[in-house]
Amino acid sequence: MAINNDKDFKDALGKLSRERQRRVGALFAERVLALSHDDKVRIAVQAARRADASETELGAALQAAQAASVDSYTQCGHECNWDTQAGHFVAESVLASINPPDGGANAAWEAAMHARMARTCEAISAGRGTDNAEPGAQYRILEDFLNS
Amino acid sequence: MAASLQKGIGVLKEVIDAPIASYFSSCVHCGLCAEACLFYTETGDPQYTPIHKLEPLRRVYRQEYTLMGRLAKLLGLSKPVTDDELEAWKPLVYDSCTLCGRCSLACPVGNDLVYMVRKFREGMAVSGHAPDGLVGASTRAVEIGSPMGVRLPAVQAQMKHVQQETGIDIPLDAEGAEYMVLMSSMEVINFPEYLGAIARIMKQAGKSWTLCSDAFEATNSGIQIGVSDIAKVLVQRIVDGAEKLKVKTVISPECGHAYTALRWEGPNLIGHPYTFKVLHILEVLDGFRAQGLLKTAGFEEARLTFHDPCQLVRRGGVIEEPRNLLKLVANNVVEMRDAGKMNWCCGGGGGVSAIEEAETLRLEAFKIKKAQLEECGATTMVTACANCRIVLEEGLEHYRMNIPVVGLTETIADHLVEGE
Repeated sequence: MAINNDKDFKDALGKLSRERQRRVGALFAERVLALSHDDKVRIAVQAARRADASETELGAALQAAQAASVDSYTQCGHECNWDTQAGHFVAESVLASINPPDGGANAAWEAAMHARMARTCEAISAGRGTDNAEPGAQYRILEDFLNS
Repeated sequence: MAASLQKGIGVLKEVIDAPIASYFSSCVHCGLCAEACLFYTETGDPQYTPIHKLEPLRRVYRQEYTLMGRLAKLLGLSKPVTDDELEAWKPLVYDSCTLCGRCSLACPVGNDLVYMVRKFREGMAVSGHAPDGLVGASTRAVEIGSPMGVRLPAVQAQMKHVQQETGIDIPLDAEGAEYMVLMSSMEVINFPEYLGAIARIMKQAGKSWTLCSDAFEATNSGIQIGVSDIAKVLVQRIVDGAEKLKVKTVISPECGHAYTALRWEGPNLIGHPYTFKVLHILEVLDGFRAQGLLKTAGFEEARLTFHDPCQLVRRGGVIEEPRNLLKLVANNVVEMRDAGKMNWCCGGGGGVSAIEEAETLRLEAFKIKKAQLEECGATTMVTACANCRIVLEEGLEHYRMNIPVVGLTETIADHLVEGE
Protein backbone atom coordinates (compact mmCIF):
# COMPACT_ATOMS: atom_id res chain seq x y z
CA MET A 1 0.00 0.00 0.00
CA ALA A 2 1.49 3.33 -1.08
CA ILE A 3 0.86 6.31 1.19
CA ASN A 4 1.29 9.76 -0.28
CA ASN A 5 -0.90 12.09 1.73
CA ASP A 6 -1.93 12.77 5.31
CA LYS A 7 -5.47 11.51 4.91
CA ASP A 8 -4.34 8.03 3.87
CA PHE A 9 -1.60 8.21 6.48
CA LYS A 10 -4.01 9.06 9.30
CA ASP A 11 -6.57 6.51 8.16
CA ALA A 12 -3.96 3.75 8.03
CA LEU A 13 -2.62 4.66 11.48
CA GLY A 14 -6.14 4.69 12.88
CA LYS A 15 -6.72 1.10 11.81
CA LEU A 16 -3.74 -0.19 13.79
CA SER A 17 -4.11 -1.87 17.15
CA ARG A 18 -3.08 0.12 20.21
CA GLU A 19 0.12 -1.90 20.54
CA ARG A 20 1.09 -1.38 16.89
CA GLN A 21 0.28 2.32 17.15
CA ARG A 22 2.74 2.56 20.04
CA ARG A 23 5.46 0.81 18.07
CA VAL A 24 5.12 2.81 14.89
CA GLY A 25 4.73 6.01 16.91
CA ALA A 26 8.04 5.23 18.55
CA LEU A 27 9.59 4.83 15.11
CA PHE A 28 8.45 8.36 14.21
CA ALA A 29 10.08 9.60 17.41
CA GLU A 30 13.21 7.59 16.68
CA ARG A 31 13.64 9.30 13.31
CA VAL A 32 14.00 12.68 15.05
CA LEU A 33 15.83 11.31 18.08
CA ALA A 34 19.05 13.13 17.17
CA LEU A 35 17.25 16.38 18.04
CA SER A 36 17.02 15.32 21.69
CA HIS A 37 19.97 15.29 24.05
CA ASP A 38 18.13 13.62 26.88
CA ASP A 39 18.96 9.98 27.59
CA LYS A 40 15.53 9.51 29.15
CA VAL A 41 14.00 9.98 25.71
CA ARG A 42 16.27 7.34 24.16
CA ILE A 43 15.35 4.87 26.86
CA ALA A 44 11.65 5.55 26.32
CA VAL A 45 11.90 5.14 22.54
CA GLN A 46 13.75 1.85 22.87
CA ALA A 47 11.06 0.43 25.11
CA ALA A 48 8.12 1.81 23.14
CA ARG A 49 9.23 0.35 19.81
CA ARG A 50 9.52 -3.21 21.10
CA ALA A 51 6.64 -5.63 20.51
CA ASP A 52 7.52 -7.60 23.62
CA ALA A 53 7.83 -4.65 26.03
CA SER A 54 6.27 -5.52 29.38
CA GLU A 55 3.82 -3.31 31.28
CA THR A 56 6.56 -2.58 33.79
CA GLU A 57 8.97 -1.52 31.06
CA LEU A 58 6.32 0.65 29.44
CA GLY A 59 5.50 2.22 32.79
CA ALA A 60 9.15 3.14 33.28
CA ALA A 61 9.31 4.46 29.71
CA LEU A 62 6.23 6.57 30.34
CA GLN A 63 7.79 8.10 33.44
CA ALA A 64 11.03 8.79 31.58
CA ALA A 65 9.24 10.43 28.66
CA GLN A 66 7.03 12.46 30.99
CA ALA A 67 10.03 13.72 32.95
CA ALA A 68 11.90 14.58 29.75
CA SER A 69 8.89 16.47 28.42
CA VAL A 70 8.49 18.56 31.57
CA ASP A 71 12.24 19.19 31.81
CA SER A 72 12.37 20.58 28.29
CA TYR A 73 9.46 23.00 28.29
CA THR A 74 10.44 26.58 27.57
CA GLN A 75 9.27 28.45 30.65
CA CYS A 76 7.10 31.52 30.41
CA GLY A 77 9.29 34.61 29.93
CA HIS A 78 12.46 32.66 29.09
CA GLU A 79 14.09 33.14 25.71
CA CYS A 80 13.27 30.22 23.43
CA ASN A 81 16.11 28.07 22.17
CA TRP A 82 14.51 26.30 19.22
CA ASP A 83 17.09 23.50 19.26
CA THR A 84 16.18 22.69 22.85
CA GLN A 85 12.53 23.04 21.98
CA ALA A 86 12.97 20.48 19.21
CA GLY A 87 14.09 18.07 21.93
CA HIS A 88 10.90 18.81 23.84
CA PHE A 89 8.78 17.68 20.93
CA VAL A 90 10.81 14.50 20.53
CA ALA A 91 9.92 13.73 24.14
CA GLU A 92 6.28 14.62 23.42
CA SER A 93 6.33 12.31 20.41
CA VAL A 94 7.37 9.22 22.32
CA LEU A 95 5.13 10.22 25.21
CA ALA A 96 2.13 10.34 22.87
CA SER A 97 2.96 6.90 21.50
CA ILE A 98 3.01 5.37 25.00
CA ASN A 99 0.35 7.42 26.72
CA PRO A 100 -1.81 9.30 24.22
CA PRO A 101 -4.04 12.02 25.72
CA ASP A 102 -7.19 10.71 24.01
CA GLY A 103 -6.91 7.17 25.26
CA GLY A 104 -5.20 5.68 22.25
CA ALA A 105 -7.38 6.28 19.21
CA ASN A 106 -4.78 8.45 17.52
CA ALA A 107 -1.59 7.61 19.38
CA ALA A 108 0.60 7.16 16.33
CA TRP A 109 -0.86 10.20 14.58
CA GLU A 110 -0.15 12.31 17.67
CA ALA A 111 3.38 10.95 17.80
CA ALA A 112 3.86 11.78 14.13
CA MET A 113 2.64 15.35 14.60
CA HIS A 114 4.97 15.95 17.54
CA ALA A 115 7.88 14.53 15.54
CA ARG A 116 7.04 16.95 12.72
CA MET A 117 6.93 19.79 15.22
CA ALA A 118 10.41 18.78 16.40
CA ARG A 119 11.62 19.04 12.82
CA THR A 120 9.86 22.40 12.43
CA CYS A 121 11.69 23.70 15.51
CA GLU A 122 14.98 22.57 13.97
CA ALA A 123 14.11 24.43 10.77
CA ILE A 124 13.21 27.60 12.70
CA SER A 125 16.48 27.41 14.58
CA ALA A 126 18.46 27.01 11.37
CA GLY A 127 16.50 29.78 9.63
CA ARG A 128 15.57 27.36 6.89
CA GLY A 129 11.95 28.40 6.57
CA THR A 130 9.13 26.01 7.17
CA ASP A 131 9.46 23.19 4.67
CA ASN A 132 10.55 19.81 5.89
CA ALA A 133 10.59 16.32 4.52
CA GLU A 134 9.26 14.65 7.63
CA PRO A 135 5.77 13.77 6.32
CA GLY A 136 7.23 11.87 3.37
CA ALA A 137 9.67 10.05 5.62
CA GLN A 138 6.84 9.10 7.97
CA TYR A 139 4.79 7.71 5.07
CA ARG A 140 7.73 5.45 4.16
CA ILE A 141 8.17 4.35 7.79
CA LEU A 142 4.52 3.36 7.95
CA GLU A 143 4.66 1.51 4.63
CA ASP A 144 7.69 -0.46 5.81
CA PHE A 145 5.99 -1.15 9.13
CA LEU A 146 2.82 -2.41 7.44
CA ASN A 147 4.83 -4.60 5.07
CA SER A 148 7.06 -6.08 7.75
CA MET B 1 16.73 55.66 31.25
CA ALA B 2 19.44 54.50 33.66
CA ALA B 3 18.14 52.97 36.88
CA SER B 4 18.86 54.72 40.16
CA LEU B 5 17.58 54.83 43.72
CA GLN B 6 16.66 58.49 43.34
CA LYS B 7 14.48 57.79 40.31
CA GLY B 8 12.98 54.78 42.02
CA ILE B 9 12.01 56.76 45.11
CA GLY B 10 10.60 59.43 42.83
CA VAL B 11 8.41 56.83 41.14
CA LEU B 12 7.30 55.41 44.48
CA LYS B 13 6.17 58.89 45.52
CA GLU B 14 4.30 59.25 42.23
CA VAL B 15 2.50 55.90 42.41
CA ILE B 16 1.10 56.58 45.87
CA ASP B 17 -2.30 57.74 44.74
CA ALA B 18 -5.49 58.22 46.76
CA PRO B 19 -6.36 54.48 46.82
CA ILE B 20 -2.89 53.48 48.05
CA ALA B 21 -2.89 56.21 50.70
CA SER B 22 -6.29 55.06 51.92
CA TYR B 23 -5.20 51.42 51.91
CA PHE B 24 -2.16 52.10 54.10
CA SER B 25 -4.15 54.27 56.48
CA SER B 26 -6.97 51.76 56.79
CA CYS B 27 -4.91 48.58 57.32
CA VAL B 28 -5.89 47.11 60.68
CA HIS B 29 -2.93 44.68 60.85
CA CYS B 30 -5.26 41.71 61.17
CA GLY B 31 -2.99 39.34 59.26
CA LEU B 32 -5.76 37.83 57.16
CA CYS B 33 -3.80 38.62 54.00
CA ALA B 34 -1.09 36.24 55.26
CA GLU B 35 -3.54 33.35 55.38
CA ALA B 36 -4.59 34.16 51.81
CA CYS B 37 -1.05 33.96 50.38
CA LEU B 38 0.24 30.55 49.32
CA PHE B 39 3.84 31.60 49.93
CA TYR B 40 2.96 32.22 53.57
CA THR B 41 0.64 29.27 54.13
CA GLU B 42 3.08 26.78 52.62
CA THR B 43 6.23 28.07 54.33
CA GLY B 44 4.91 29.60 57.55
CA ASP B 45 7.44 32.38 57.04
CA PRO B 46 5.95 35.72 58.16
CA GLN B 47 8.05 37.71 55.68
CA TYR B 48 5.63 36.49 53.01
CA THR B 49 2.69 38.30 54.60
CA PRO B 50 1.43 40.43 51.70
CA ILE B 51 1.24 43.72 53.61
CA HIS B 52 4.81 43.18 54.84
CA LYS B 53 6.00 42.88 51.24
CA LEU B 54 4.97 46.52 50.87
CA GLU B 55 6.92 47.87 53.86
CA PRO B 56 9.33 50.15 51.91
CA LEU B 57 6.39 51.64 50.01
CA ARG B 58 4.56 52.17 53.29
CA ARG B 59 7.57 54.04 54.70
CA VAL B 60 7.72 56.32 51.67
CA TYR B 61 4.00 56.96 52.13
CA ARG B 62 4.43 57.86 55.80
CA GLN B 63 7.53 59.99 55.25
CA GLU B 64 6.07 61.94 52.37
CA TYR B 65 2.33 62.08 52.94
CA THR B 66 1.61 61.99 56.69
CA LEU B 67 2.31 64.72 59.25
CA MET B 68 3.88 62.40 61.81
CA GLY B 69 5.95 60.71 59.16
CA ARG B 70 7.27 64.01 57.86
CA LEU B 71 8.16 65.14 61.36
CA ALA B 72 9.92 61.87 62.07
CA LYS B 73 11.86 62.21 58.82
CA LEU B 74 12.87 65.79 59.67
CA LEU B 75 14.07 64.74 63.11
CA GLY B 76 15.97 61.79 61.72
CA LEU B 77 13.73 59.33 63.52
CA SER B 78 12.64 57.55 60.36
CA LYS B 79 15.25 55.85 58.22
CA PRO B 80 15.21 56.46 54.48
CA VAL B 81 14.60 53.65 51.98
CA THR B 82 17.95 52.50 50.62
CA ASP B 83 19.22 50.52 47.65
CA ASP B 84 20.23 47.66 49.95
CA GLU B 85 16.73 47.54 51.40
CA LEU B 86 15.04 47.47 48.00
CA GLU B 87 17.42 44.72 46.88
CA ALA B 88 16.54 42.76 50.01
CA TRP B 89 12.86 43.21 49.21
CA LYS B 90 13.21 41.94 45.64
CA PRO B 91 12.37 38.32 46.54
CA LEU B 92 9.30 39.53 48.41
CA VAL B 93 7.97 41.81 45.69
CA TYR B 94 8.71 39.52 42.75
CA ASP B 95 9.69 35.92 43.64
CA SER B 96 6.96 35.43 46.22
CA CYS B 97 4.09 37.36 44.66
CA THR B 98 2.24 36.04 41.63
CA LEU B 99 -0.13 39.03 41.56
CA CYS B 100 -2.84 36.44 42.07
CA GLY B 101 -5.05 38.85 43.99
CA ARG B 102 -6.19 36.41 46.64
CA CYS B 103 -4.98 38.73 49.41
CA SER B 104 -7.03 41.57 47.95
CA LEU B 105 -10.20 39.50 48.17
CA ALA B 106 -9.40 38.38 51.71
CA CYS B 107 -8.73 41.85 53.13
CA PRO B 108 -11.65 42.74 55.43
CA VAL B 109 -11.27 46.49 54.84
CA GLY B 110 -11.05 46.12 51.08
CA ASN B 111 -7.40 46.98 50.54
CA ASP B 112 -6.35 46.03 47.03
CA LEU B 113 -2.95 44.65 47.98
CA VAL B 114 -2.15 43.32 44.53
CA TYR B 115 -2.69 46.81 43.11
CA MET B 116 -0.18 48.08 45.65
CA VAL B 117 2.38 45.41 44.77
CA ARG B 118 1.92 46.24 41.09
CA LYS B 119 2.63 49.89 41.82
CA PHE B 120 5.55 49.06 44.12
CA ARG B 121 7.09 47.11 41.25
CA GLU B 122 7.12 50.35 39.22
CA GLY B 123 9.59 51.85 41.71
CA MET B 124 11.55 48.63 42.01
CA ALA B 125 12.06 48.45 38.25
CA VAL B 126 13.12 52.09 37.90
CA SER B 127 15.55 51.77 40.80
CA GLY B 128 17.20 48.75 39.15
CA HIS B 129 15.83 46.06 41.45
CA ALA B 130 13.74 44.01 39.04
CA PRO B 131 14.83 40.39 38.51
CA ASP B 132 17.06 39.73 35.50
CA GLY B 133 14.56 37.25 34.06
CA LEU B 134 11.84 39.87 33.87
CA VAL B 135 14.21 42.53 32.55
CA GLY B 136 15.19 40.17 29.71
CA ALA B 137 11.57 39.27 28.94
CA SER B 138 10.53 42.92 28.87
CA THR B 139 13.45 43.89 26.64
CA ARG B 140 12.61 41.12 24.16
CA ALA B 141 8.93 42.04 24.23
CA VAL B 142 9.70 45.60 23.17
CA GLU B 143 12.51 44.86 20.72
CA ILE B 144 11.31 41.60 19.15
CA GLY B 145 7.62 41.60 19.91
CA SER B 146 7.66 38.59 22.20
CA PRO B 147 9.05 38.11 25.72
CA MET B 148 10.34 34.71 24.64
CA GLY B 149 11.91 35.90 21.40
CA VAL B 150 9.27 34.50 19.03
CA ARG B 151 9.40 36.17 15.61
CA LEU B 152 6.84 36.08 12.83
CA PRO B 153 8.62 33.32 10.83
CA ALA B 154 8.25 31.02 13.84
CA VAL B 155 4.54 31.79 14.00
CA GLN B 156 4.23 31.13 10.27
CA ALA B 157 6.05 27.82 10.72
CA GLN B 158 3.55 26.84 13.37
CA MET B 159 0.67 27.99 11.17
CA LYS B 160 1.93 25.69 8.43
CA HIS B 161 2.31 22.82 10.87
CA VAL B 162 -1.26 23.30 12.10
CA GLN B 163 -2.59 23.60 8.54
CA GLN B 164 -0.97 20.25 7.74
CA GLU B 165 -2.37 18.65 10.86
CA THR B 166 -5.92 19.96 10.61
CA GLY B 167 -6.31 20.57 6.88
CA ILE B 168 -7.67 24.03 7.71
CA ASP B 169 -6.12 27.27 6.41
CA ILE B 170 -4.92 29.63 9.12
CA PRO B 171 -5.78 33.20 8.06
CA LEU B 172 -3.18 35.93 8.52
CA ASP B 173 -3.95 39.65 8.20
CA ALA B 174 -7.48 39.04 6.93
CA GLU B 175 -9.06 42.50 6.98
CA GLY B 176 -12.65 42.66 8.19
CA ALA B 177 -12.57 39.34 10.04
CA GLU B 178 -14.91 39.15 13.02
CA TYR B 179 -12.26 37.90 15.42
CA MET B 180 -8.55 38.65 15.78
CA VAL B 181 -6.93 35.79 17.64
CA LEU B 182 -3.92 36.49 19.84
CA MET B 183 -1.56 33.88 21.16
CA SER B 184 0.95 33.80 23.95
CA SER B 185 4.54 32.89 23.08
CA MET B 186 4.00 29.86 25.28
CA GLU B 187 1.37 28.59 22.87
CA VAL B 188 3.53 29.25 19.83
CA ILE B 189 6.48 27.44 21.40
CA ASN B 190 5.01 24.72 23.59
CA PHE B 191 1.37 24.20 22.66
CA PRO B 192 0.72 24.27 18.89
CA GLU B 193 -2.47 22.32 19.61
CA TYR B 194 -4.08 25.57 20.82
CA LEU B 195 -3.98 27.14 17.36
CA GLY B 196 -5.24 23.89 15.83
CA ALA B 197 -8.14 23.88 18.28
CA ILE B 198 -9.04 27.47 17.40
CA ALA B 199 -9.02 26.63 13.69
CA ARG B 200 -11.34 23.65 14.18
CA ILE B 201 -13.73 25.51 16.48
CA MET B 202 -13.97 28.58 14.27
CA LYS B 203 -14.61 26.39 11.26
CA GLN B 204 -17.47 24.60 12.97
CA ALA B 205 -18.91 27.82 14.37
CA GLY B 206 -18.76 29.41 10.92
CA LYS B 207 -16.90 32.47 12.18
CA SER B 208 -14.31 34.54 10.33
CA TRP B 209 -11.06 35.08 12.17
CA THR B 210 -7.45 36.02 11.64
CA LEU B 211 -4.03 36.27 13.16
CA CYS B 212 -2.21 39.59 12.81
CA SER B 213 1.40 39.69 11.64
CA ASP B 214 2.05 42.91 13.59
CA ALA B 215 0.32 41.76 16.76
CA PHE B 216 0.24 38.03 17.33
CA GLU B 217 1.55 38.22 20.89
CA ALA B 218 -0.89 38.72 23.76
CA THR B 219 1.37 38.66 26.79
CA ASN B 220 2.47 41.83 28.51
CA SER B 221 5.67 41.67 30.51
CA GLY B 222 5.36 45.38 31.25
CA ILE B 223 2.57 44.48 33.66
CA GLN B 224 4.67 41.78 35.30
CA ILE B 225 7.87 43.76 35.79
CA GLY B 226 5.95 46.88 36.72
CA VAL B 227 6.76 49.35 33.94
CA SER B 228 3.61 51.02 32.65
CA ASP B 229 5.42 52.59 29.69
CA ILE B 230 6.33 49.13 28.39
CA ALA B 231 2.85 47.80 29.13
CA LYS B 232 1.39 50.69 27.14
CA VAL B 233 3.63 50.01 24.12
CA LEU B 234 2.59 46.36 24.09
CA VAL B 235 -1.12 47.14 24.38
CA GLN B 236 -0.86 49.79 21.68
CA ARG B 237 0.68 47.25 19.31
CA ILE B 238 -2.45 45.09 19.61
CA VAL B 239 -4.77 48.07 19.30
CA ASP B 240 -3.01 49.18 16.11
CA GLY B 241 -3.26 45.66 14.67
CA ALA B 242 -6.95 45.33 15.51
CA GLU B 243 -7.80 48.74 14.09
CA LYS B 244 -5.80 48.09 10.92
CA LEU B 245 -7.67 44.83 10.33
CA LYS B 246 -11.01 46.37 11.39
CA VAL B 247 -11.95 43.39 13.54
CA LYS B 248 -14.93 43.42 15.89
CA THR B 249 -13.43 41.36 18.71
CA VAL B 250 -9.92 40.55 19.89
CA ILE B 251 -9.60 37.18 21.59
CA SER B 252 -7.17 36.94 24.48
CA PRO B 253 -5.66 33.43 24.58
CA GLU B 254 -5.29 30.87 27.35
CA CYS B 255 -3.03 33.20 29.32
CA GLY B 256 -4.01 34.80 32.58
CA HIS B 257 -2.15 38.06 32.82
CA ALA B 258 -2.51 38.83 29.11
CA TYR B 259 -6.25 39.01 29.70
CA THR B 260 -5.85 41.38 32.66
CA ALA B 261 -3.39 43.55 30.76
CA LEU B 262 -5.45 43.83 27.60
CA ARG B 263 -9.00 43.79 28.86
CA TRP B 264 -8.85 45.54 32.21
CA GLU B 265 -5.72 47.70 32.19
CA GLY B 266 -5.33 48.35 28.47
CA PRO B 267 -7.73 51.27 27.92
CA ASN B 268 -6.34 53.10 30.95
CA LEU B 269 -2.79 52.48 29.76
CA ILE B 270 -3.39 53.95 26.31
CA GLY B 271 -5.76 56.63 27.58
CA HIS B 272 -8.91 55.91 25.56
CA PRO B 273 -11.52 53.19 24.98
CA TYR B 274 -11.05 50.50 22.36
CA THR B 275 -12.96 50.46 19.08
CA PHE B 276 -13.37 46.70 19.44
CA LYS B 277 -14.33 44.22 22.15
CA VAL B 278 -11.81 42.13 24.07
CA LEU B 279 -12.86 38.69 25.29
CA HIS B 280 -11.03 35.76 26.77
CA ILE B 281 -11.20 32.64 24.62
CA LEU B 282 -13.40 30.95 27.25
CA GLU B 283 -15.91 33.80 27.06
CA VAL B 284 -16.00 33.40 23.28
CA LEU B 285 -16.41 29.63 23.46
CA ASP B 286 -19.14 29.85 26.07
CA GLY B 287 -20.93 32.33 23.83
CA PHE B 288 -20.68 29.84 20.97
CA ARG B 289 -22.05 27.16 23.28
CA ALA B 290 -25.01 29.32 24.27
CA GLN B 291 -25.77 29.96 20.59
CA GLY B 292 -25.63 26.24 19.80
CA LEU B 293 -22.55 26.63 17.62
CA LEU B 294 -20.49 23.94 19.36
CA LYS B 295 -21.55 20.45 18.34
CA THR B 296 -19.72 17.92 20.44
CA ALA B 297 -19.88 14.18 20.96
CA GLY B 298 -18.66 11.88 23.68
CA PHE B 299 -17.34 12.49 27.16
CA GLU B 300 -13.91 12.44 28.73
CA GLU B 301 -13.23 9.20 30.56
CA ALA B 302 -11.05 10.78 33.23
CA ARG B 303 -12.21 12.38 36.46
CA LEU B 304 -11.58 16.04 35.63
CA THR B 305 -11.06 19.13 37.71
CA PHE B 306 -10.67 22.69 36.52
CA HIS B 307 -7.84 24.89 37.78
CA ASP B 308 -9.08 28.47 37.68
CA PRO B 309 -6.35 30.85 36.50
CA CYS B 310 -6.20 33.71 39.01
CA GLN B 311 -6.49 36.52 36.52
CA LEU B 312 -9.60 35.01 34.96
CA VAL B 313 -11.56 34.51 38.15
CA ARG B 314 -10.37 37.29 40.42
CA ARG B 315 -9.80 40.08 37.89
CA GLY B 316 -12.29 39.02 35.24
CA GLY B 317 -15.04 37.03 36.94
CA VAL B 318 -14.76 34.25 34.35
CA ILE B 319 -15.99 31.47 36.64
CA GLU B 320 -19.08 29.85 35.12
CA GLU B 321 -17.86 29.85 31.51
CA PRO B 322 -15.28 27.06 31.88
CA ARG B 323 -17.72 24.96 33.89
CA ASN B 324 -20.42 25.38 31.26
CA LEU B 325 -17.94 24.27 28.63
CA LEU B 326 -16.72 21.29 30.63
CA LYS B 327 -20.28 20.00 30.91
CA LEU B 328 -20.29 19.62 27.13
CA VAL B 329 -17.49 17.08 27.18
CA ALA B 330 -17.26 15.64 30.68
CA ASN B 331 -19.71 14.08 33.10
CA ASN B 332 -17.24 13.29 35.86
CA VAL B 333 -16.05 16.68 37.06
CA VAL B 334 -14.99 17.38 40.62
CA GLU B 335 -14.19 20.73 42.17
CA MET B 336 -11.09 21.43 44.18
CA ARG B 337 -11.46 23.01 47.61
CA ASP B 338 -11.62 26.81 47.17
CA ALA B 339 -12.30 26.48 43.44
CA GLY B 340 -13.64 29.51 41.65
CA LYS B 341 -12.85 33.01 42.79
CA MET B 342 -10.75 31.90 45.77
CA ASN B 343 -8.81 29.20 43.94
CA TRP B 344 -5.17 28.87 44.86
CA CYS B 345 -2.61 30.07 42.35
CA CYS B 346 -0.37 27.63 40.47
CA GLY B 347 2.54 29.58 41.98
CA GLY B 348 4.07 30.80 38.73
CA GLY B 349 1.97 33.80 37.72
CA GLY B 350 2.89 37.47 37.77
CA GLY B 351 6.26 36.77 36.19
CA VAL B 352 7.42 34.32 38.88
CA SER B 353 7.98 31.50 36.39
CA ALA B 354 10.44 33.75 34.52
CA ILE B 355 12.56 34.16 37.67
CA GLU B 356 14.99 31.26 38.00
CA GLU B 357 15.91 32.16 41.59
CA ALA B 358 12.27 31.66 42.57
CA GLU B 359 12.02 28.02 41.52
CA THR B 360 12.65 26.39 44.90
CA LEU B 361 10.11 28.60 46.64
CA ARG B 362 7.60 28.08 43.82
CA LEU B 363 7.78 24.32 44.24
CA GLU B 364 7.36 24.70 47.98
CA ALA B 365 4.26 26.80 47.43
CA PHE B 366 2.91 24.13 45.06
CA LYS B 367 2.11 21.97 48.08
CA ILE B 368 -1.24 23.74 48.35
CA LYS B 369 -2.16 22.62 44.83
CA LYS B 370 -0.96 19.13 45.64
CA ALA B 371 -3.26 19.06 48.66
CA GLN B 372 -6.21 20.35 46.63
CA LEU B 373 -5.71 17.60 44.08
CA GLU B 374 -5.27 14.82 46.62
CA GLU B 375 -8.47 15.87 48.37
CA CYS B 376 -10.64 15.90 45.25
CA GLY B 377 -9.22 12.78 43.63
CA ALA B 378 -9.08 14.16 40.09
CA THR B 379 -7.16 12.13 37.53
CA THR B 380 -6.79 14.91 34.95
CA MET B 381 -6.52 18.64 35.43
CA VAL B 382 -7.92 21.12 32.91
CA THR B 383 -6.95 24.76 32.81
CA ALA B 384 -7.02 27.79 30.53
CA CYS B 385 -3.62 29.39 30.95
CA ALA B 386 -0.48 28.14 29.22
CA ASN B 387 1.73 29.37 32.05
CA CYS B 388 -0.42 27.67 34.70
CA ARG B 389 -0.25 24.51 32.61
CA ILE B 390 3.53 24.26 32.60
CA VAL B 391 3.87 25.33 36.23
CA LEU B 392 1.30 22.70 37.19
CA GLU B 393 3.07 20.01 35.16
CA GLU B 394 6.38 20.86 36.80
CA GLY B 395 4.85 20.75 40.25
CA LEU B 396 3.14 17.45 39.57
CA GLU B 397 6.35 15.98 38.19
CA HIS B 398 8.28 17.26 41.21
CA TYR B 399 5.86 15.60 43.61
CA ARG B 400 5.57 12.47 41.46
CA MET B 401 1.85 12.86 40.81
CA ASN B 402 0.75 11.27 37.55
CA ILE B 403 -2.01 13.72 36.62
CA PRO B 404 -2.07 15.02 33.05
CA VAL B 405 -2.78 18.72 32.53
CA VAL B 406 -4.66 19.79 29.41
CA GLY B 407 -6.00 23.03 27.96
CA LEU B 408 -9.76 23.54 27.93
CA THR B 409 -9.90 24.91 24.37
CA GLU B 410 -8.18 21.86 22.91
CA THR B 411 -10.31 19.56 25.09
CA ILE B 412 -13.44 21.08 23.56
CA ALA B 413 -11.96 20.84 20.06
CA ASP B 414 -11.16 17.15 20.58
CA HIS B 415 -14.89 16.47 20.99
CA LEU B 416 -16.18 18.46 18.01
CA VAL B 417 -18.38 16.61 15.59
CA GLU B 418 -16.51 17.44 12.42
CA GLY B 419 -17.12 16.81 8.76
CA GLU B 420 -20.82 17.64 8.78
